[in-house]
Amino acid sequence: MRTRTSLLGLGFVSPALALLFAFFLMPVVLTTVFAFTNMSTATGITGGSHVITGNLLRDLGNAGIDNDVITALGEASFSVTSETLAAAADAGVEPRFLGEIEARLMGQNFEDARSFESALKSLPSRPTRIRELKLATEPFERSILNTRYASRADMEAAITSMAPDAPAETISTIAEASYTGWRWIDGGNFQTLLDRPETIRIVLNTVFYVAATLAFNVFVGLFLAITTFYLPKTGAGFFSVLWLLPRITPVVLYAVMWKWFTWDNGFLYVIAEQLGLPAFNYMKGSVPTAWATIILVNGFVGASFGMILFSGALRAIPIQQLWASEVDGASRWQQIRQIILPQLRWPILFVTSYQTLSLLSSYEQIWLTTNGGPGSTTTVWALEAFNTALNNYTGNLEYGMGAAMALILVAVGLVLSILYLRMFRFDELVNKPRIEF
Amino acid sequence: MTRNFSAWPIYALLGILSAPLAVMYLFLVIDTFTNAPPGSLIPNEFTFHHWRFLWDASVTGDVWGPTATTFLFATTMVVIVLAVSSTAGYAISRLNLPFRRFFLSGIMVMHAFPSVTLIIGVFLVLQFAGLYNTLIGVILVKASLMLPFGVWIMKGFYDQVPWEIEMAGVQDGASRFTVWRRLILPQVTPGLLSLGIFAFIDGWSEFMLPRILAPSANFQVLSTYLNVVSDPNSTTYNFNLFKSVGLFYTLPILVLFAVFQNRLMNIFGGGTKG
Amino acid sequence: MTILKTTKLLATTAMLLSGTMLAAQAEDYTITVWAGGTGDTSNYRYDNIVMAADILEREAAIRGEELNITVETQAWSGWDDFKQAVTLAAEAGNAPNIIISGHEDIGPWSQSGLLRPVEDYVDFDAWPLNAIYPNLYDITSYDGVVWGIPQDAESRPFFYSRANLKAIGWTDADIEALPGKVASGEYTLYNMIDDAKKMQDAGVVEAGKGFVPRPSNGPDYWQFYISFGGEMVDAETGKLVLDKQAMTDMFQFFVDAADAGVVPATHLGSTWDAFHEAVANDQAGFWHAGTWTVSEWQTKWGLEDFFGQMQYSLIPAGNENGKANTISHPLVYLLSNAGTDDDAAISAELISIASEPRFNALHAVKSGKVALSDAQASIPLFANDRWAGIATTELLPHATAIPNDVEFGPYWTAMFKNLEASWTGTVSVEDAVNALEAEVTSALGDKIIVR
Repeated sequence: MRTRTSLLGLGFVSPALALLFAFFLMPVVLTTVFAFTNMSTATGITGGSHVITGNLLRDLGNAGIDNDVITALGEASFSVTSETLAAAADAGVEPRFLGEIEARLMGQNFEDARSFESALKSLPSRPTRIRELKLATEPFERSILNTRYASRADMEAAITSMAPDAPAETISTIAEASYTGWRWIDGGNFQTLLDRPETIRIVLNTVFYVAATLAFNVFVGLFLAITTFYLPKTGAGFFSVLWLLPRITPVVLYAVMWKWFTWDNGFLYVIAEQLGLPAFNYMKGSVPTAWATIILVNGFVGASFGMILFSGALRAIPIQQLWASEVDGASRWQQIRQIILPQLRWPILFVTSYQTLSLLSSYEQIWLTTNGGPGSTTTVWALEAFNTALNNYTGNLEYGMGAAMALILVAVGLVLSILYLRMFRFDELVNKPRIEF
Repeated sequence: MTRNFSAWPIYALLGILSAPLAVMYLFLVIDTFTNAPPGSLIPNEFTFHHWRFLWDASVTGDVWGPTATTFLFATTMVVIVLAVSSTAGYAISRLNLPFRRFFLSGIMVMHAFPSVTLIIGVFLVLQFAGLYNTLIGVILVKASLMLPFGVWIMKGFYDQVPWEIEMAGVQDGASRFTVWRRLILPQVTPGLLSLGIFAFIDGWSEFMLPRILAPSANFQVLSTYLNVVSDPNSTTYNFNLFKSVGLFYTLPILVLFAVFQNRLMNIFGGGTKG
Repeated sequence: MTILKTTKLLATTAMLLSGTMLAAQAEDYTITVWAGGTGDTSNYRYDNIVMAADILEREAAIRGEELNITVETQAWSGWDDFKQAVTLAAEAGNAPNIIISGHEDIGPWSQSGLLRPVEDYVDFDAWPLNAIYPNLYDITSYDGVVWGIPQDAESRPFFYSRANLKAIGWTDADIEALPGKVASGEYTLYNMIDDAKKMQDAGVVEAGKGFVPRPSNGPDYWQFYISFGGEMVDAETGKLVLDKQAMTDMFQFFVDAADAGVVPATHLGSTWDAFHEAVANDQAGFWHAGTWTVSEWQTKWGLEDFFGQMQYSLIPAGNENGKANTISHPLVYLLSNAGTDDDAAISAELISIASEPRFNALHAVKSGKVALSDAQASIPLFANDRWAGIATTELLPHATAIPNDVEFGPYWTAMFKNLEASWTGTVSVEDAVNALEAEVTSALGDKIIVR
């Protein structure tokens, strides 16, 4: 039967589509684009302008640009001529002040802004505000150094005006080099990542982090589900609530609690001191304890996920089956191995897959606790991407490199989730609607 | 359950495993009302001193402004999530759509893949929309990140509504929209309630998004507030104070959790019926 | 012949036109000020701007103009959050008018067009800007343009616990002679390791507390690079320099210190609290910190008699290649591209007034910084503060600064990462320096000279 598209359905999904498009799809597309650029704070995100600076001229000189052109471009002077006076009048410089400039300074040349300004300051009708004085000097200036030009054409015109004899090719090269915005660098970011010796360490850290936390989550989740299964209702309830608390506790408070637990003069510290064990800041003081902290911090949050799923699956076991096994004299261990665990095969696989993905891209807890330290021994990929792109001491955030790192994570995540979708028999979830109009 | 085995070894094992959690949460409460001598954990005096930040803004700055903002943030987000998820979930569950399969698998993938790593892209989108550094911008982003989960959960609830209800409504001549509003929506109220509470807790706790997408705005939410207060380099450095602020911050969540515990239990393992 | 400068001339016209209307009507301005790395003792960073606004309004009133300035301030205690906020806000077009940040941000921020050159807005020949030490303007310049006005400066000396030195047999005279020996290169970093070891062996300080360096990344670590003869910038070409020998020696020094047990291999990333706690209470032998931390130890960590408890000096030389030194990391007032040209002009006037020596003295004394001008040094509040005076006259003259180069960021980050890697023993010193070289040459190409 051919079915018609439901208009109501379209109307109903479009708000969701719009939001998901704006805040999922667009960011993915933008991240992909950025990953192939050298975008950073210095280049800006939305584009740059064209500027010739002293450093640029030096670099151009080293790159073999004709020295005469470099010298011409580097010249800066202020001259009072009839042309510049006319320009100043057009710019709106006050006529009386302009008249005094013409009368006293006509034909003079000044090497730099400071000497010209001090000459202007001696005039009786000078503006009182320093900014006005500075603006009044600009029409007299003949220099393109450190002036920002919005377009490449403007820049080329400016270069031509300073160095009329420069060949077109040179002008084009200089204008190109003067661009301050970001450029395409193809796979440059990925190449850099490959070349960095540290990349491999972060990858290993990430693998270790995910594997260890996952193991904790699954085993503890399993343990909690099975033990609470055997407990009377109130006892089971107490423990499941306790283990759910980390899940609902705001991450900032949760981090504070762990700091109190592991830091100098914190809980463990005081206990260890009284027992004569080494007492130090366990969260940051040594590599093994830092790892242990991170794995526990994340593990305690994640374990309840497995616990709930496994408990649900356990409740589906017919209770008669258990009683029967007990009548047959099965020990608890046998009961677990032969009846309970087989029942949990799919939930375990599901929890493993699902949490692999979420652990891969999680860094909030690590950031708020060890922050990847000591050194960068507990830095994982997602945290490094975040720090590169958005969070570092120098004021130059490397968006392009950060995006490249995020893109790798997105790619890994996509591949894994598609794999999982196949594994968990996606078709069964998409049962066809039964009423069609 | 089965009663043939004794329970105490289980209690002992569970107790050991849960000890860190129990200690952390126990002292979270105790420390806010007591002082302990240096180098000891056992409190020796009872005090309300650590709660003075509630009325004395000179301790950590005004706490009520951020509280109001957080409330506004969380509730607005809940409204958006519920409105969009309840419609989209219905469409996916019951209505005939092109690319329905694709959309559903897309939702699954997005659900499984938290997109915090895309934050630079998100920043740009907000900036183009002129919503960077605004409360509504952060709310929209947070709500969108919750959507895959919300849609998925709501689809699950709609799937369980018997087709007969819908059939009956349609045969009476009502439009699909009316059927949805009058007949189906009341059937999934428990789902809406669970999702709403879950989204509220999630919004109340959110830290990264306000921190990055609205760093300079004139509003502050409690998570960023607590983060500033508990800066180890601050002069107010005092875990008892941090914990008091933290407990105050978390109290609404704890109350919600206590009241709606069973509903939340279901949804915490949610989106996982496959 | 004139050069077409569309943007500049438009600004000129607008400004000059508005200038003619200036007397006619009341003017209202809202100036936003953001300050980074601003803790509890640094409130004058922005409070000075608020006071300056009051003065500027009064000046206008005397001229018969009505000027209303609202100053909105926001301070961040850390740097990461602050810089992220500034850069993202600037991309979104709502940067603050005045930014107070480290001078090293001038490189990238000026390239991106985030800043207006302050030299286009202020008069360096007029009071109080003409009083500020000229070498500070070198630090606030980049590419021949003065981008910022120095807000404060400091140095980052080496400190010694007098009690712990005496406990290993030093006399008062020895301790007094120490700064001189450091300056002449007689007492080196390796002598320091030996003495720290002695303290630990004698049980004076706990193991791993003999030498307590800064627990996080900061300009401080470049001091040790200089101590081993490193240079950050090539004087001739202005390019960044990686001196492999000096870098190797410097990495090796920290590895040696860790091997000797005077500092833990995992020291980096530990907390500032542990640091302050130890050094302020004679639990450590040797450490280095900014001059301003002295006031922090006094207000927060119970330090009472600074001069009686601690000795100070330059960072000692590491070997015969290097010299004793210190790094100053001045903060600067920067003008952002936000707002109109009028807003910027007002902001610039506010910055100029806030640079009044008396205002700068308030900040310098409260937060333990050095003087930016002779005039400031002679303000009684400042002159009566012994530590501030010493920091200005004894330490600042030996200070260098990190470069403003736009490319310095990757170098800075890579250096610290590899220092950490070798310090924690994850890789050998040789590998770490080679990795550093590979990283900076792949990131910076020929913009860095490797020696």
